[in-house]
Amino acid sequence: MSNAMEWLQFVLAPQMINGLSIGVAVVLMALGLTIIFGLLDVINMAHGEFYAIGAYLAVALLATGMSFWWALVLTPLLMAVLGFVTERGLIQRVFHSKDRHTLTLLLTFGVAVVLEDALKIAFGANPLRLEAPISGATEMLGLFFPNYRLFVMLFGGALIAGVWLLVFRTSLGAIVRAAAYDRNMSASLGVPVQLVYAGTFAFGVALAGIAGVLLAPIYSVFPTMGKDFVLIAFSVVIIGGMGSIKGALLAGLLLTQVQSISSLYISPVWSDPLLFGIMVLVLMWRPQGLFGKLGSA
Amino acid sequence: MSTPASSSTIGPRGGALATASSERPRRSAATWLAILFFAGALLFGGIALALGDVFYLRLATEALIFGGLALSVDLLLGRVGLLPLGQALFFGLGAYVSALVLKNWSDSFWLALGVTLAFSAVAGLIGGLIAIRAKGVYFALISFGLAQVLSKVVYNTRELGASDGIIGVPSANIMWGVNSATPSGFFLVVLAFIGALYLVLRYLMDTPVGRQLDAIRTNEHRVSFLGEDPWRYKLGAFVAAACIAGCSGALYPMLRGFVSPELMFFQVSGNAVINVIVGGTGTLIGPLYGSAILTGLRSVVGSFTTHHHIVIGVLFVLVVILMPRGLIGYATPALQRWLDARRNQKENR
Repeated sequence: MSNAMEWLQFVLAPQMINGLSIGVAVVLMALGLTIIFGLLDVINMAHGEFYAIGAYLAVALLATGMSFWWALVLTPLLMAVLGFVTERGLIQRVFHSKDRHTLTLLLTFGVAVVLEDALKIAFGANPLRLEAPISGATEMLGLFFPNYRLFVMLFGGALIAGVWLLVFRTSLGAIVRAAAYDRNMSASLGVPVQLVYAGTFAFGVALAGIAGVLLAPIYSVFPTMGKDFVLIAFSVVIIGGMGSIKGALLAGLLLTQVQSISSLYISPVWSDPLLFGIMVLVLMWRPQGLFGKLGSA
Repeated sequence: MSTPASSSTIGPRGGALATASSERPRRSAATWLAILFFAGALLFGGIALALGDVFYLRLATEALIFGGLALSVDLLLGRVGLLPLGQALFFGLGAYVSALVLKNWSDSFWLALGVTLAFSAVAGLIGGLIAIRAKGVYFALISFGLAQVLSKVVYNTRELGASDGIIGVPSANIMWGVNSATPSGFFLVVLAFIGALYLVLRYLMDTPVGRQLDAIRTNEHRVSFLGEDPWRYKLGAFVAAACIAGCSGALYPMLRGFVSPELMFFQVSGNAVINVIVGGTGTLIGPLYGSAILTGLRSVVGSFTTHHHIVIGVLFVLVVILMPRGLIGYATPALQRWLDARRNQKENR
């Protein structure tokens, strides 16, 4: 009995808490993806690169002597501008063709190729390290947890709650949901749909950027960091249901827990195949994912 | 015979003109463009042989090999309407199987190709059973995930050389003393292989099976209303595409003498999609043009800077926005109009 308690306390609990800090960032990524898909029907293949740009922006801003906290505020704003420009300048150009799904996917894929190489040109291919802004650790349940991870959990959690409130409890969120539900009807009721599209895309990109900043001190920062990370975000969005906020939240937390707990038993090499296997199983059972789309929930 | 350009999956449909005029029995624009491609490749090989060049001959062989991969992407994207973002999975698998056969069993070209074909078919069947369940963007993401997962597993498997891959693959004996180490001989073999692949695919697309695939792309629901099972055709096309990609991959270690996990990475899948889109989706010859042009461009830009991806990426984005039917997708109807005009002139004279 005491053995089981010790295992719970010293093996399982820390793993779960570490998983939670990653999970919060994964949920932020997935929220961006799912909101963009829910409203615009666009699979943003460049989402991982936007995440990487967020991390690099933090590195660059810190190099100018700025504090981490200012970088955390400034990065999403800059990312939102980048997202806005991408949507207006590129995505809108193919948005109205018949094969919107394929074309926008290809377009964002091209953007990803360009952005990844741009990062290599600007910062080099070698991984960079970012110092954690909060050092030290806090004792909980007789164990020490890095303060920064606790901060990521709390800050990310608050942000997720904020996104939830914004989408489901404000008039702005109602406008976005209305535009997702019926674009033409919203437009005739006076909703500036074009602006809502660009704004939503910018918002999703900003969320990816924040995830990048938050995880930069935990992982190292390198140009292809988005490629690995975006796969789990895609799995989360597919399992949760494309366009579902609830689904992204639940699936994001669940999958990262599965990942961190399974890493106690299997080599991390196999954690990707495991997550992928779960995704395939869920798709066999419910091809549309666990929950419905943005406008319908 | 229908011009493949008229059934491009993306962008506006080919237009009535191209479809109507292509019913004529004479050589269509697509055929002329195909003849131009293979004749040009032969001419290139002849010049390179005369000049005693090795580098460009090897590069052209590589372009053709990646052209085979692009053909498999075009079969799925241009015909069935499925966007594969992980086709490098089968290409890399073929390369590994072929390298292992050549290194451990025998240096026979045909044995390596045969074993690769068997493995690719099985892998295609397994992959297809997983991926074909999903439609549209889900298919794209699942194929992306499949390749990402397998490449990571290979990257971490020490028995397969992990991140180093397999080096020192012996050259393959083909026939009549032709060896894959001979640059010009192997170039011709690969050219013949790709040419045969092109002809078979083009023939298949005019059979009822090919038309069924067209119908699935255009309206899958209606196909099932008509009593056909789209799933079987999609799975068949997926397995065929896996075999094409795998066999193309099998040629890679014969050319370069090594395989590495990079062959399975997203970059390879992505480049194949770029080659197809730039060349012209659904045209079959377009992806070959795309591979040839872009492989050349990568090499030229790559000799100036290591950052050739950004150039290719910008070009790709421009093509998607400005000419989503690709080079051949626009060239074919234009050439066809010109051919028709000339023919009418002759007839009226």
